[in-house]
Amino acid sequence: MITVTINGKGIKLEKPATVLEAARIAGIKIPTLCYHEGLELYGGCRLCMVEVEKMPKLQTACTLYVTDGMVVRTESEQITKARRGVLEFLLINHPLDCPYCDKAGECELQDLVMKYGPTTGRFEEGKRKHPESFDDPIIVRNMERCVVCTRCVRMCDGVQGASAIAVTNRGSHSFIEPFSSGEYNCEYCGNCLAVCPVGAIMSRLHRHAYRAWQVEQEVNTVCSYCGVGCSMVLQVREDTIKRVIPKIGLGVNKGLLCARGRFGYEYVGSHERLSSPLVKKNGKLEPATWDEALTTVANRLKEIKERFGGEAIAGVASPRCTNEDNYVFQKLFRAGLGSNNIDSSARLGYAGAQKYLEGILGQGATANIISGIVNSEGVFIIGGDPTHINPILGIQVRAAFRKGVRVITVGYTPGLERFRTAGLLPYPYTEGMLLSGLLEELLKIKSLPGGNKAFEAKINEFKRLSAGDIEKVCNITKEELSQAAKALSDISSVSMVIGRDIIQCTGASTNLFLLAAIAYILDARVYLLSERPNEQGLIDMGCLPDTLPGGRPLEIGSFRKRDEDVWDCQIPSKEGMTLMEIIESANTGSIKAIYVMGENPVYNLPDTNFVKNALERLGFLVVHDIFMTETAAMADVVLPSLSWAEKDGTYTNLERRIQRLRKAINRQGMEDWRILSEVGKKIGLKMPYNSAEDVMTEISMVSPLHAGLTYEDIERGLDQWPYKGEPLRQGLGVGDRGPVKIQMPGHKGRLYLSIEKPLFHSGTLSRRAQALNSIYPEPVVKINPETAKKFGLKDGDIVAVTSSKGNLILPVRTDKLIGESIVLVTNTFKGKGAMSLLSYKLDPITKIPCIDAVEVTIEKVVNI
Amino acid sequence: MNRTDELIKEIQEVKKSYPKTKAALLPVLYLAQREFGWLRPEALEFVSEALDIPKATVKGVATFYAMYKHKLMGRHLIQLCTNVSCMIFGAERLVDFLKNKYGLEVGGTTADGRFSLVIMECIGACGTAPAMLVNDDFYENLTEKYIEEILEKYK
Repeated sequence: MITVTINGKGIKLEKPATVLEAARIAGIKIPTLCYHEGLELYGGCRLCMVEVEKMPKLQTACTLYVTDGMVVRTESEQITKARRGVLEFLLINHPLDCPYCDKAGECELQDLVMKYGPTTGRFEEGKRKHPESFDDPIIVRNMERCVVCTRCVRMCDGVQGASAIAVTNRGSHSFIEPFSSGEYNCEYCGNCLAVCPVGAIMSRLHRHAYRAWQVEQEVNTVCSYCGVGCSMVLQVREDTIKRVIPKIGLGVNKGLLCARGRFGYEYVGSHERLSSPLVKKNGKLEPATWDEALTTVANRLKEIKERFGGEAIAGVASPRCTNEDNYVFQKLFRAGLGSNNIDSSARLGYAGAQKYLEGILGQGATANIISGIVNSEGVFIIGGDPTHINPILGIQVRAAFRKGVRVITVGYTPGLERFRTAGLLPYPYTEGMLLSGLLEELLKIKSLPGGNKAFEAKINEFKRLSAGDIEKVCNITKEELSQAAKALSDISSVSMVIGRDIIQCTGASTNLFLLAAIAYILDARVYLLSERPNEQGLIDMGCLPDTLPGGRPLEIGSFRKRDEDVWDCQIPSKEGMTLMEIIESANTGSIKAIYVMGENPVYNLPDTNFVKNALERLGFLVVHDIFMTETAAMADVVLPSLSWAEKDGTYTNLERRIQRLRKAINRQGMEDWRILSEVGKKIGLKMPYNSAEDVMTEISMVSPLHAGLTYEDIERGLDQWPYKGEPLRQGLGVGDRGPVKIQMPGHKGRLYLSIEKPLFHSGTLSRRAQALNSIYPEPVVKINPETAKKFGLKDGDIVAVTSSKGNLILPVRTDKLIGESIVLVTNTFKGKGAMSLLSYKLDPITKIPCIDAVEVTIEKVVNI
Repeated sequence: MNRTDELIKEIQEVKKSYPKTKAALLPVLYLAQREFGWLRPEALEFVSEALDIPKATVKGVATFYAMYKHKLMGRHLIQLCTNVSCMIFGAERLVDFLKNKYGLEVGGTTADGRFSLVIMECIGACGTAPAMLVNDDFYENLTEKYIEEILEKYK
């Protein structure tokens, strides 16, 4: 116990703390400028000066740790004079352009000068000149205003790990610069501008658009981009989002955001937003009234149900929609249309993997918290770059590495280049074989723990590859493999981060089996990366062909009975079709109608032309969306829904945390759940909801995971659904599994297409966010410089990337971190999506459409 | 082996002398400066890659120190002291001499790219002032005539 006296007030401390922290605990305010919670201590601004008894000079409260019996004063004439002096020095160079500066009103320097003065400066010399830099598309740098507190540099280096900016030059000439002196060319997390106390680093997005005190409303909500679910505040004025800021200490992100979250909100106000329902008349989509559109939908669905049965209707739910939307969606299908044909793009990886892992390990969902990664002793990453897919989770991995945790990556992970102990880069589509070899190596070191006999029998039966085989087929040496196995095996806690690439390739279920086996042997905590904000919620809400809300298997009658009682209907007991089966059945004609909510299958599913043809054969296609997507353009009825900022509801993030979305903007239109309720009512279903909260009330009655949960509970922090780790069903899919087939000899010279998951884009939404487009404006094909050399290509050359499914004309960008036989294309830009080049095979167990090692050619286009 | 490979080899040697790579940054910047002529962006990028230190950090460190060349300079660098002792013994006249005779301004380079002049604050030769360095060679008790003789050696 340490006792310290500050301003005559006795404070008892359990743990060591700085004078500043002790004062804050006691509610005493000490002014600061360079100090910022979460950043390394610096002690540079000299504003937190305090008097400490028995110390001859003033001390900086932020760096001085309290000792027992210390007596501190935080305000005195001497202190005020010192602070005034420091501020006078800062104002020598800081321009007094507050009337023009966007920071005015929330500027820490302004507030400090207001409190401590000086009112005049004694310096007669001119101010340092440094023209404002507009070289960057997003960040404006005004180094005349900079007070060199280095908060931004400490944020960029010490927390974000991007190290894109530094203090350059010396003394009074020093200022903050990115390497190029102009464009940042960084990760654009914008965390630097969030911590800047003055107007030195500012966003261009809201430049001169409003004054800080003119914000009409600050709305606490959750990000709409990925599965981490960062808490954020939307600053709203005149029904437009002016700025997105994080809240220090709040949510999983604790004051950090990424590029998509901070700068990607502009799509909400896009002029491309759909405003009126559209109904196809004479082959053309024409504006219609809501009533007309809804009646058409209800009548057509009823008609098809009566003629062909509910099984002829299928639904595609959306991991971008809320829990409430998805719940009502599956209810409309199960209770109203008598169909279990409900699936979503989560099938492409997240849902398929989760269900499979659940069958083996008894837990499929990420049963750990994101911040737990830092506390593990090792991190194993495969199938994607967490710093791009789930950036805030990626920062945890970086933090872990800096703490001394071993980080081992497999595949292309550019964001962890400086943050890993070992990086394995196998040939494309041989990751599964690598896992098999890794399992073999692990079993040489560690024995099976003996908990799950059935699973262990399967592991023993599994024909594993030797390190020698791996060296031959994967381009990973025996030493690399055995070192990786060793690094993972002699520690007690391993976090295993799994991305979609390993789940969405040939042999998906085999890969999952191997991952599960490795996780089982290492007793690893599994994290499934999630590319959409509500993939977990969608699964929890039962938007799967075989699962009822709350993750309960459909086949068990008593579970169905419970829902039937609440919904007052019959739920068909037959398992529905999965996503690609729905599309395939549409193609063969057994599915007559598809109801799509907030998804774009034509763009987001492999083999675009096949999907398009299949949808063309449908008798009826309904699409809810906020934009005229490729799929909506083919629909018979298009219903404009509301975006994430315009509705209430909840999202469940990848660590099962249910978080509130709050309405920030008024816009005419209906939430997805409301549209679905209206359709439901018209076909005779009970939809007793007036608000999203009413839907949650019903969810809490139906889903055991959400039993009794209310919006108030969520606000009080009861936000992670209980996970007891008990399997919901036994033995699913462990099945019989032979050895991994080695089917890809001779990689040399061949090229394989892989989907890039860029940090700056996510697809349909991000391509309408101007700021994101300004930093990643056009589709490119990324290849290794050696590959480029071999084909006689250089950066900027226009090439045709051709697969058996089609071709894309794209400029070349070289990146030496990419494997030599990989060709990377994003699935983001209109008409240029990587998915259009891919063919797939359904995994027999998980029904994941697996990308089947798509071989491509690249050829320079001469005349365009 | 080409020059780049040689430089990388040299850098690897330097790295061995320090417990952490970051500590090798200053000597490696000197190596890069020797190879690239001055610390132009390409040189900094080269160092960043060779030592695996972020390039912004490398730039921050490089620009902190005045002893590195931050712009293109002549083949030979004259570092003349004008601090108290040297000033008393007429160093400022020598500055004028360099300007009049060679067209060499303080901080500038001669038109033929032969010399660059940098003013130093004390090079520890107060007893034999005025003094200067030409590249790594030290000269003391300077006079206009002596300077002329010295500079003849540097073509």
